[in-house]
Amino acid sequence: MTFKQWIEAVGDVARREVKRLLNKPLYLFCMLLAPAISVVFLLSLMQEGLPTDLPIAVVDLDNSATSRNLIRQLNAFEQTEVVMTTASFTEARTEMQKGHVYGIFHIPADFSVEATTGKQPTLSFYTNGTYLIAASLLFRDMKTMSVLAGASVGLQTGTAKGLTTEQIMGQLQPIVVDTHAIGNPWLNYSVYLNNSLLPGILQLMIFLITVYSIGTEIKFSTSREWLRTGRNSFSASLLGKLLPQTVVFTVVGMAMLAVLYGFNAFPLNSGWGPMVGAMFLLVLASQAVGVFMIGVLPTLRLGLSFASLFGMLAFSVVGFSFPVQAMYPSVQALAKLFPLRHYFLIYIDQALNGRDLIFSWSHYVWLAAFLILPVLISKNLKEALLNFKYVP
Amino acid sequence: MKREHRLIDKIKQGIQDTFYIWIEELKHVFRDSGVMIFFFLVPLAYPVLYALIYNPEVVREAKLVVVDQSDTYLSREFIRRVNATADVEVVGVMADMEEAKRMLDEKKAYGILAFPPEFSQEMHAGRQARVSLYSDMSSLLFYKAFLLSATEVSLDLGREWTAHNHPQSTEELQRITVDPIPYEAITMFNTQSGFASFLVPAILVLVIQQTLILGICMLGGTAREKSRFRSLVPLNRHYEGTLRIVLGKALTYIVLYGIVCVWIFAIVPRLFGLPQVGHPWTVLLFLLPYLLACIFLSMTLSGFMVSRESPMLIFVFTSVILLFLSGVSWPKEMIPPFWQAVGYIFPSTPAVQGFVRINTAGATLSEVTHEYQVLWLQTGIYFLTACIIYRYQIIRSRVISHRLHKHVKNRTKAVSLG
Repeated sequence: MTFKQWIEAVGDVARREVKRLLNKPLYLFCMLLAPAISVVFLLSLMQEGLPTDLPIAVVDLDNSATSRNLIRQLNAFEQTEVVMTTASFTEARTEMQKGHVYGIFHIPADFSVEATTGKQPTLSFYTNGTYLIAASLLFRDMKTMSVLAGASVGLQTGTAKGLTTEQIMGQLQPIVVDTHAIGNPWLNYSVYLNNSLLPGILQLMIFLITVYSIGTEIKFSTSREWLRTGRNSFSASLLGKLLPQTVVFTVVGMAMLAVLYGFNAFPLNSGWGPMVGAMFLLVLASQAVGVFMIGVLPTLRLGLSFASLFGMLAFSVVGFSFPVQAMYPSVQALAKLFPLRHYFLIYIDQALNGRDLIFSWSHYVWLAAFLILPVLISKNLKEALLNFKYVP
Repeated sequence: MKREHRLIDKIKQGIQDTFYIWIEELKHVFRDSGVMIFFFLVPLAYPVLYALIYNPEVVREAKLVVVDQSDTYLSREFIRRVNATADVEVVGVMADMEEAKRMLDEKKAYGILAFPPEFSQEMHAGRQARVSLYSDMSSLLFYKAFLLSATEVSLDLGREWTAHNHPQSTEELQRITVDPIPYEAITMFNTQSGFASFLVPAILVLVIQQTLILGICMLGGTAREKSRFRSLVPLNRHYEGTLRIVLGKALTYIVLYGIVCVWIFAIVPRLFGLPQVGHPWTVLLFLLPYLLACIFLSMTLSGFMVSRESPMLIFVFTSVILLFLSGVSWPKEMIPPFWQAVGYIFPSTPAVQGFVRINTAGATLSEVTHEYQVLWLQTGIYFLTACIIYRYQIIRSRVISHRLHKHVKNRTKAVSLG
């Protein structure tokens, strides 16, 4: 076969594949609708960036002007909303178990009197660790409130002694920590999660569709006809089949980038180039992994099971919520087998931190290296396409 | 008299058919390796995998690099104490910010702690001294580890500094100057703020629903695919009553998932030290409507599946969405009303909420009343929809068999005539 014939064969198979894609609504759903639903869902869910007005209960055993003032100030914090004051801690705890509040702020009896007479009354605050995000945000607000409460008492006694505010603060809090969250100073959860969740969904759908489109050929014994359209060239047949899907998924991937960095204006310190390149490679690498999956398990349902399990596992093992560095070493090694992991590391370096490409090149190479997988499995897959009997 | 006799006969027949269908469905499940994957392999393996991934629970020894332009006793003491905390490890002290930034670029560290040259002077002059903390945002848990450790050290060191420099005449004055209002922070239920304890219970509950949907829809798709007339119900005299079919099949799934639940909710948490403070009876009573709701929902959905594999393509990605809808990671108060309504379609939403509170926070049934009622309501609704689906399928297969019968009769007539 000459090169020209080979190109023609690819074109014929691609035309055949386009027809197949258009004929089944399932493809439309998985390739366009599912990613679109996910984009709309996740971005509208985390629109605020940070949860605000999380409900807490206050146990006010002091019930003085001072304690009420404290509650008012606490309520003014952006993340906190005091939804109830309860008479006892037990009552507040029950409210927490009912899921009505995520935190409890406890003001002891005689608080205002003891505070000004040096008896050191202790403010206690409780967070429900079951809800990690709500707990850590409320922890921050309630801690700040407690520190400020101490400071205001200190200011009163200090001013009485004729000290300046600067001197008093120098005594109350000699060292201040200025915190800077690089790249995401707002601690925006939408930025934090959606930059990796959305590509993760894309990767999952690519695994599934790649496996499905090849697996159905085997299941319904159309694989020989497929290979004939490709003039019996395995490479032309495979390429022709995947090419239309590559185009669709690349368009979907780019649309995701446009929504993230254009429409939502998430941090993009690297400019578009590095992320567009990474997204394109993510699409190709995921397709290659998909081909590998159906090549290893040429039964449609087993191939799809493999794709689903692997694709879902990616969301955890890639480490954008719980960092990979803190996982067991064997899990750390496993993480490298997911294209999404390398995409995620590129995103951290490029879009989030705007680092030099030198620091990310190895992950681009990793993504490209996934393209070897179809070659490795080609013998197995070819055999399956020619001779595999589908057993339901 | 005769009527009554018929009714008793009918009930007897109904019960016999239900058990017949139960056994048949069991055979279908065990003969189908695809279904076995979802009913057994996934529920067995997934909890273990997730527990393994998240089992380290917390970030320890997050790598921090220091830029110490002050280089005094105070800054060195600060660094020493930060390094001594469990959460942070100081991997190096650099001369300037450029070098420290390069450490971050090369992922040799994930945060920078920078002391300005005047750090010590400010403190000696009795003014507030500032120290800057920069954190890489690839993981919020790094940020949290750095922030908590640095703040703790700054407060402790600050208190000692004030006490040392401003000895007061009386003990009372001393306390007011140093620490007028101490405070204590307590994390309840998930006391170490562990990641596995936070997320894995929610995943366990979700796995039940998702595998039931996938498995039952696969059984439905297979029945449709194998049937000559794309029918969900076989042409068999045992499959003639809606209730028999729905109950017989549901019985199969509930028996199988009873076993699966023991593994997921009793054994796995024990193996990995996950929270498990709920009373066993409360857990059991709560899981019952959840299982039933999931089963009837799956049976309803299975009516729309025409092939074996389409369920996997359609439902797998919803797991991500459902996990967020459950309100465990993203607080439920922050979910827009439209998505909250969508959440109520799926049993997993109330089940995850309720289960997590029972299992991790020790709630009793009366504290999860809302969720419990929603689950029973869903059970009722999806039982009805499942019945409707099967009723429709029975009528359809009756019509088909009737036509078939007529067709055969006509043919025999034609043959005998010819």
